[in-house]
Amino acid sequence: MLHTLIRQELLTHLMSARFLAAVVITLLLVVANTIVLIDDHENRVANYSQQEKVHREKAVAAETYSRLELFVERPPNPLSLFSAGLDKRLGTTVGIYHGDVPMISSVSARNLENPYLNLFSYIDLVFIFQVVLSLLALLFAYDAIAGDWESGTLRLVISHPIRRGSILFAKYIAAMICLLLPVLMSLLMVLILCSLASSIQLSTADLLRIGGIIWTTIVYLSLFYLIGLLISTTTRRTATSLMFCMFLWVALVLVYPNWSRVAINPVGDMRAEQQSANQQIEQIWEEADREEQRFLANSPLEGDPPRFNIGYSGSSSRSGRRYGFNMTKVDADSEPFVSHFQNYQAFIGATHIRLAEKAALIREQVLARTDIRQATWDKRLMRFSPASLYTFATSAWAGTDLKGMLDFSRATQGYRQMLIDYLDDKDAFASRQWFASDQGTVDWWDLPRFRFERADVWENTQRAAADMSLLFLMNLILFIVTFLIFVKVEV
Amino acid sequence: MIGHIVKREFFDHLNSLRFALTALILAALMITNAVVHLQSHPDKVRRYSEKVTADQDKLQSRTELYQMLKKGPGRLYKHPSALTFIADGGDAFLPGSGTTSWGSWSRTAGFSGQVKSIWSLDYSTANPNARDLRPKSTKIDWVFIITYLLSFIPLLFTFDALSGERESGTLRLCLANSISRPALLVGKFLGTLIAILTPFYFAVLLNLAIISTDSWTQLGAADWGRLGMIILIATGYASIFIAVGLMVSAGTRDSRVSLVTLLIIWVALVVFMPSTLGTLATKWMSPVQTAHQRDMARRSALEQINADFDKRIMDKQAKQSEGLQLLNQLMELSKTSPKEAEALAKAREEELRLAIAKSESQEADPEELRIKAEFVNKDAEIREGLNREHLRAQLAQVQRARSITRFSPAAIVQYALESMAGTGLNRHLQFLEGVHHHIGQFRNFIVETDHADTESLHIIGVPEGMSEKPVSPRALPSFEDKITFSDTFNAAIVDMLLLALLLCMFICGAFLVFLRSEV
Repeated sequence: MLHTLIRQELLTHLMSARFLAAVVITLLLVVANTIVLIDDHENRVANYSQQEKVHREKAVAAETYSRLELFVERPPNPLSLFSAGLDKRLGTTVGIYHGDVPMISSVSARNLENPYLNLFSYIDLVFIFQVVLSLLALLFAYDAIAGDWESGTLRLVISHPIRRGSILFAKYIAAMICLLLPVLMSLLMVLILCSLASSIQLSTADLLRIGGIIWTTIVYLSLFYLIGLLISTTTRRTATSLMFCMFLWVALVLVYPNWSRVAINPVGDMRAEQQSANQQIEQIWEEADREEQRFLANSPLEGDPPRFNIGYSGSSSRSGRRYGFNMTKVDADSEPFVSHFQNYQAFIGATHIRLAEKAALIREQVLARTDIRQATWDKRLMRFSPASLYTFATSAWAGTDLKGMLDFSRATQGYRQMLIDYLDDKDAFASRQWFASDQGTVDWWDLPRFRFERADVWENTQRAAADMSLLFLMNLILFIVTFLIFVKVEV
Repeated sequence: MIGHIVKREFFDHLNSLRFALTALILAALMITNAVVHLQSHPDKVRRYSEKVTADQDKLQSRTELYQMLKKGPGRLYKHPSALTFIADGGDAFLPGSGTTSWGSWSRTAGFSGQVKSIWSLDYSTANPNARDLRPKSTKIDWVFIITYLLSFIPLLFTFDALSGERESGTLRLCLANSISRPALLVGKFLGTLIAILTPFYFAVLLNLAIISTDSWTQLGAADWGRLGMIILIATGYASIFIAVGLMVSAGTRDSRVSLVTLLIIWVALVVFMPSTLGTLATKWMSPVQTAHQRDMARRSALEQINADFDKRIMDKQAKQSEGLQLLNQLMELSKTSPKEAEALAKAREEELRLAIAKSESQEADPEELRIKAEFVNKDAEIREGLNREHLRAQLAQVQRARSITRFSPAAIVQYALESMAGTGLNRHLQFLEGVHHHIGQFRNFIVETDHADTESLHIIGVPEGMSEKPVSPRALPSFEDKITFSDTFNAAIVDMLLLALLLCMFICGAFLVFLRSEV
């Protein structure tokens, strides 16, 4: 009997105009956007490899250790096709330097060709499912019970020896199959288009992540169908049910996610926090200056830093506390001071590494208390909307969420440590080649290369778990509530 | 008769659930918008005036003409519009300060001292996205409320206007009376329009009432005029979607099919088109130079004038030293054989004169100064030209993308509202125009002030060649960024015409479909 019910519901849906229209529009949107997005991704990949080459050339061109200018680039995530998250938005270039610990806030987007294009919002495939298919789910649901009611078929069906739960279940299963079809068809399209593009190579792990995204989509659509079903069982007229469904959709998908961010701001003004942190960091660097003074007091170096009384030809550069020297020829009468200068540089290097890490602790704290706290609060508030939950869960699967970006900044910190180890190995801070290239320039052949691996699938699963389970829970509650109401309701 | 239909439609809607929900959601959003504006706007205005006064102080401290030329007119800031609550216009991406840094350098020129760079115009860019960790969201301004809700709600009001009556049979009944079809359609159109505008105007009034309590947002007569235009645009936009709804409703027999069709049209036109077409447009845009390419272009252009300058100054100095040598030679020669010396002097009279002039005057040689000044000016010109070119290419891309997104009425309304509210790209372009005008005035002022001083050599670009009289900083042309009604109106007129055309088109479409449809 259940079987017959499901079949009957399924056939009605499949032959309806709304199903056809929804499938056509979903596929159209998905194909059009996928083509654009793949093209965009190809551009980003090309830009990434070009930038990487420029960075490498710049690094290897340094004649002395102090002149090393090391930059790393965040590789574009192919899954940003599905969920753009922060992947396209945040800057991609990070400078690596022993006297500064890179943070998520120190990325720059200097290489962006046209920042004005940020005026246009970009979309991803998840957004299409989020908007179009949730609307379709509600359109399937609004007259599921109320429509049968109005036409009187509900009475007819119930007069047969069927449990009410079965009726509800049959409707649910049939609608979910109908919703699944456009999702799977568009997935097929996307995978075909991706395989045609040379720049996107999806690994097995990526396919698993896409599986996770599809799974989340199903749970999300089921939630919207259940919302519609609940409204349909509680109202007796399809017109009323429809209006409730439509306005609820506007509220949940369009209005609330944007509204919560501007209307509720529990974090407040963060400038005071940032200022006090800046002061603390300034104090740390004043400490560095004092230590430097103390060191210089016991050192035979004369004159003013950073040149002292060393006569040389060549060049020097400065940005902030960072000096780069390239002495191509050191005057003969300055030669006795050179070894002291080496000691001084070694001391400065060690101090800067130590204090940069100390300052990093403060920066990390203040970041957690300002930007990250704000983002977390936004997320918490937005969770009341299933549409936002869906966005968060899918970006966690894709690795384009905040945690994925923090992974990258952790990797850059690791790379800085590798750089320091490399310099220590070569005893670079205390070497003559730190500042002078008169006895040969530095050979960078074994300079470690930066590699960034995205978190593994298991990690993604854990990150998506919280939002996924919330979605599940909402599903469960809605189903139970709908069931109870439907069982008790008079026909 | 039409009046009667309008009244009936209006009262029908007034009692419906959708009317109540519409009123609720519009009021809630408008109140949120007003409250958020009250919280954030004073800060914006305060920061603007703080920055402007700080910069003015810096300008006032300079009295020397050369310093003015070297340091430039300071940063120029965009005045925040009083109507930002209507359209945010992506202001965060359109940086408020127009002209900023000067890439300063100094270099030694041969053996006669240094030349220093002078100020050139640079445009600041902003990309707050690069560090924004918060989840993506849109600002809740009037643009958001109007583009999304004033298109969605009309569709919900009209999807069953004709198809529903056809289903229930009342349409037949209606037309059996002596009512013409156009009259019925007009009646339905006006009735629905009034039913939608009532809660909208109510919400707008609430919003304005809250905002007018704020002392930081003072709305002048021109602002109210702009507000009136904005409400007119919103009304036109809502009418377009009512016409679309009536058109589809007249063409379908089943109101469910009508609804699905309308929702799909809505999703495509309002939700997807503005962003998809924006991204799509980038595919066919002429590329903008990357930062790396720009560095290279700048370097090669500057290298060329550097080499040219070196050559000219070297030649000049070599000639001078040759002349000096000649003079010495003559002196020696005149001691032994005065005749030969005379012949030599006659043969190289020109060089000799130069050398004598040079040795007599202790001051800088004007010709050398001229070479230096030419170099310095050319350098500034090249840097500024490259910046301008880059900005032009960037803005051309944006304009292109915008014109493509105009396929969507939502985008048209967004641009029209932004222009009317004095935010967004059109406003930014007007600001840049003002900046360029001001820069021209500033440069003219320097040249004219220098001309007025008779002691000056009138060589603009080097300190020795310019007037050294103190200049009163008050005489400097001041930069005032203003938003005038006519400017905003001119910027919005194209979009408004497009909207009017669309409205006509859809109303005609609705008429045609309804006239041809069977009852």
